[in-house]
Amino acid sequence: MDGGVITCRGLARRFPGGRAITGIDLDVQRGEVLALLGPNGAGKTTTVRLLNGVLAPDEGTATVLGLDPWRQGDDLRRRTAVLTEHAGLDDRFTARENLRLAGRVRGLDPRATERRAAELLERLGMGDRADVVVRGFSTGERKRIALARALLHDPDLLFLDEPTSGLDPTAGRRVTEMIAELATTQGRTVVLCTHLLAEAGRLADRMAVLVEGRMRASGSPAAIAGELWGTRTTTVDLGRVADAQHIVAVAAVTGTSAVEGVARGLRFEGADRAVVPAAVAALVGVGAEVFGVDTHEPSLADVYFAVEGAEAVELPEVTR
Amino acid sequence: MSAVDRRVVRALVAHDLTAVRRTPGLVVPIAALPVVLLVLMPLAIAVAARDPTLDVGTYVDLVPERLAAAVRRYPEEERLIILVLGYVMAPLFLIVPLMVSAVLAADSFAGERDRGTLETMLHTPVRDRELYLAKLLAAFVPALAVAWLGFAVFAVVANVASWGIMGRVFLPTVRWLVLVGWVAPAAAALGLGVMVRLSIRARSAQEAQQMGSAVVLPILVVAVAQASYLLLYPVATSLAAGAAVWAVAIALNVRGAHRFTRDHMATKV
Repeated sequence: MDGGVITCRGLARRFPGGRAITGIDLDVQRGEVLALLGPNGAGKTTTVRLLNGVLAPDEGTATVLGLDPWRQGDDLRRRTAVLTEHAGLDDRFTARENLRLAGRVRGLDPRATERRAAELLERLGMGDRADVVVRGFSTGERKRIALARALLHDPDLLFLDEPTSGLDPTAGRRVTEMIAELATTQGRTVVLCTHLLAEAGRLADRMAVLVEGRMRASGSPAAIAGELWGTRTTTVDLGRVADAQHIVAVAAVTGTSAVEGVARGLRFEGADRAVVPAAVAALVGVGAEVFGVDTHEPSLADVYFAVEGAEAVELPEVTR
Repeated sequence: MSAVDRRVVRALVAHDLTAVRRTPGLVVPIAALPVVLLVLMPLAIAVAARDPTLDVGTYVDLVPERLAAAVRRYPEEERLIILVLGYVMAPLFLIVPLMVSAVLAADSFAGERDRGTLETMLHTPVRDRELYLAKLLAAFVPALAVAWLGFAVFAVVANVASWGIMGRVFLPTVRWLVLVGWVAPAAAALGLGVMVRLSIRARSAQEAQQMGSAVVLPILVVAVAQASYLLLYPVATSLAAGAAVWAVAIALNVRGAHRFTRDHMATKV
């Protein structure tokens, strides 16, 4: 597997009525959090279904946890978990009973299931509601129970669809921390489908943007930003208006361009982050006092909106 | 074809049966119909048979001659009981399990979609065959239980309530046992085979039930309503009729199993 948890090339699936997803390429490594982003109807759920062997592709190949999702789907699904957007709990059963069924159909030891269910429900703040019938639970409570169910069998790969939607801020933070811990400490791989870009920005190492069934871009936000904008803007706070000497010094650094003075210093374009320390060193070298540097790193949200709004044909795809 | 893990099937069946018990919308019609038809009806007939002014001959004359001839072999005071409880009630023991299995099948397949639990189930390692088999059993077992338990209760009520007139245990007969033990399960399986196919195609349990109750089930009900006549023929006839119904039911269910794939179900979610 070589650390590659998901590798897919050219995945496509067409549906009656013209709906389709095509050209899905992804590479996700062990312990990574991939944010799978896109507007409603972009094909995120279909992509998850394809990767978890629930739907068969019309074209393309995929390997997930070293398995062919379609031919070895049953084996794959023993090692994956999916948190669907609407929780998918049976209203007629208690939280604990919903988890118990999940344990049984996964062939888990009943005693171990009981222990783990109790521990997870407690951890997600649902311990005192474990034996209450789910009907009437809030969206957030359902989400937390569904998340406990998803974690019950200690999956290697989690597909989480809007894991924090409907949660109050405290519960949302608890879930976000749990997801981060799963990836960073436990080495679990997470595919996170969300409309909450700030959450995706905090959690995701990489992002993939789907629009109208096609993958517009995938890679780290920084790499995609580089493809999108080529250069990044850096502002240096000198505490006063830059003089000609400062501008000449920065312009002389390889990789800088468009150097100009601003109210309390200067601003320049750089091809990559490496030019920033060189530019600062050049300024210090000509006697400037540097009070601060703002590299204007584009956020995941900046990148997402730029990718979503761009024409697919104009945006080169980034795979890493 | 992948193997079936019985523990998984058992877990799913147990879950669905518990769910049925906890759903008044399913329990009430499933329980009410047998209570009315299989308990209250024999009581009413037994009471009516005690009425000395009742002209049973008029009723016997209305039924087909072969059935009338069978009834006329009994003493006059027993004829109403023999006619109604011994013959006319027979189709109910086929219709009741058929309807019960159909209602439960509609709920168990399309109902999963309504409740939003189907997608979650499709993402588990439960094999297609296991899920299908579990859903069949979860509808078939209660149908069979209703049929057999209903018949046991019916036989007890009929014999006790009619004891004053009959003075003997007149039910069950071998023919009745074949009908309830062999033909009724076949009818339940037939209803299941039909409703599973409709349920897989339908967008909701309600749509599946509407499709079933509007077109297909009435035809089946009319067909099984001929069951009274099975009691007039030798046991071999009932065995053969049951075998024919089983054959159709198995064919329908096997075809349904082939159509029941994760991929197909996922496109309906």
